[in-house]
Amino acid sequence: SQQFSALTEVIFRFLTEPKEVERFLTQLSDFATMNKLSLGPLKNIVKSILLVPNGALKRNLSSEQVRADFIALGLSEEKASYFAEQWKLNSPTLTRLAVGQTLMINQLIDMEWKFGVTAGSSELEKVGSIFLQLKLVIKKGSQMENVYMELTLPQFYSFLHEMERVKTSLESFS
Amino acid sequence: QLVSALHNLTRHVVYQGLTKPEDILSLFPENFHQNLKNLLTKIILENASAWRNEAQASQISLPRLVDMDWRVDIKTSSDSISRMAVPTCLLQLKIQEDAALCGNNPVVSALTVELSKETLDTMLEGLGRIRDQLSAVANK
Repeated sequence: SQQFSALTEVIFRFLTEPKEVERFLTQLSDFATMNKLSLGPLKNIVKSILLVPNGALKRNLSSEQVRADFIALGLSEEKASYFAEQWKLNSPTLTRLAVGQTLMINQLIDMEWKFGVTAGSSELEKVGSIFLQLKLVIKKGSQMENVYMELTLPQFYSFLHEMERVKTSLESFS
Repeated sequence: QLVSALHNLTRHVVYQGLTKPEDILSLFPENFHQNLKNLLTKIILENASAWRNEAQASQISLPRLVDMDWRVDIKTSSDSISRMAVPTCLLQLKIQEDAALCGNNPVVSALTVELSKETLDTMLEGLGRIRDQLSAVANK
């Protein structure tokens, strides 16, 4: 059962950091060598095991339900309880990750700005008006797009005011 | 030829930002008809500030923000998780391309952007900094 808890640890470390694929595979092959198992069958077993937490996340299952699922799949009660415990501990992180993966349309990634004074133009020799230039970096699908725009001062203040109203609204729903 | 001359005169007045009648009167040649000179000066003065504002409005610029709308949604479920309650903001910006390029048919495009609460907080921090910088400049 110490084997099982070591394997569970490896699995959860991967689930909470899904980008660390290399590390996960290395840890699996280390586990295989240490316990004199062949890597191929181990990988298959782990693949099946991974189905349970992923499905559980999608369906918002409680840890008792996860435990029941594992027992139904043939795992011993002790091991199923252990896994369910680990699941409970990790579920805030896993939930946050799943929410983070949720679709976002044209997500705003970054904003840069500069402001200055228009000194003159081809129509007017002396101008002296203040402008604010914004650059928004937006994620469209998998690509980044830069959007540039100019605001007058009154527009800026009105924009700031509206954004503060949005913040109040978002906070009241959190 | 007359129209062209008038055009040059008004352009010059607007460009130089002339506001005093004497400045405009001095532009006319010596033996110009007196009453016509006064009439023209009066008309030009009346329209000068409107022309100036229009010139400023149509000067070259980056695309300009003309309108903005927002709405707050609550995301209740997705393909990666079936139950959640995550508030998110959709911001629609109406942007007009450079007026000087479009002439009389300005092209306005609408861009809808989604912001999470964290992004909004960061943005507000940035906007607050802009406001502070603006007041620092204004108070100098």
